[in-house]
Amino acid sequence: MVKDAEPRNPDPKLLELLVCPVTHGALVYDREKQELVSKKARLAFPVRDGVPIMLEEEARPLED
Amino acid sequence: MSYGSFVNKSLCSAAMSNKSTPEAQESFGFRKVPKAEKAGLVKEVFDKVADRYDLMNDFMSFGIHRIWKDMVIHRANPQPGELLVDVAGGTGDLSRKFIAAAEKVRLRRGGAPATAIATDINASMLLCGRKEEDPKTLYWACGNAEQLPFADNTADVLTISFGIRNVTDKPKALRNMLRVLKPGGRFLCLEFSKPIARAIEIPYDLWSFNAIPAIGELVAGDRDSYQYLVESIRNFPDQESFAEMMRQSGFARVSYSNFTGGIAALHTGWKA
Repeated sequence: MVKDAEPRNPDPKLLELLVCPVTHGALVYDREKQELVSKKARLAFPVRDGVPIMLEEEARPLED
Repeated sequence: MSYGSFVNKSLCSAAMSNKSTPEAQESFGFRKVPKAEKAGLVKEVFDKVADRYDLMNDFMSFGIHRIWKDMVIHRANPQPGELLVDVAGGTGDLSRKFIAAAEKVRLRRGGAPATAIATDINASMLLCGRKEEDPKTLYWACGNAEQLPFADNTADVLTISFGIRNVTDKPKALRNMLRVLKPGGRFLCLEFSKPIARAIEIPYDLWSFNAIPAIGELVAGDRDSYQYLVESIRNFPDQESFAEMMRQSGFARVSYSNFTGGIAALHTGWKA
């Protein structure tokens, strides 16, 4: 099985086009955690192998 | 190279533990299941068939699904610089065709390359579809048709091909897709439909209920998923009923064309 050494990042153009599916607000890409963060919805959407998973039920609720 | 080996079966797994009430029933093939469970069950089906999906479609439709999709792209009339959002875009075939068609226009007239985003509720399908040699302007994002991760008035063209049938709340998905479309944007929905003549319906039913689940078992080792596909096709509203659902959801200039005697239909609409 071939695997990239570094995590794949989503294309910046794609990130420009995506919004939070719940609030339609802006997203911030956290490269370290591989997450797209919606501050308004208090949710972090995972990015898996470069593919943003923009599903509410897959998102991690933000604490604090 | 293939991304098939990267497929994580747990990706995008639905919240199967959702509470459901007995009155909120939804069809899953010919079975009735609690509404909250439908998305999870559909996802399970596509998780199972993801790596053989295009191949199975070829077997089931004698390759005709590729011709239908070419007809969708011809009607979509892709132009340089346009953005396509392909909902339930699965393995990305419509997105690739869209970019390629716009590229042909671009060779004559210039302009920017077209962009396509293949969106699917099922990450397995996207990861199976993604290829190294894909155009740079083809993007992939996991998303739900009822809750799309795009701003209002974003897409020039929005397509959904063999996807709307599997959506739990179809009017909600239609309203969401309309929302994402730019004013003047085109919507094209390809789906299995009702054959227009008994002469087509009888052999088609025989093929569907006898051959397709058997082929599913042989090629993909999975009879149940293909049994679901066949049953879900029969449950889907006919041409006129779906056109009415589109109008009710706010689409303008709704019309449809039958493909192969109504085995499939292409519904089109505009955002006014």
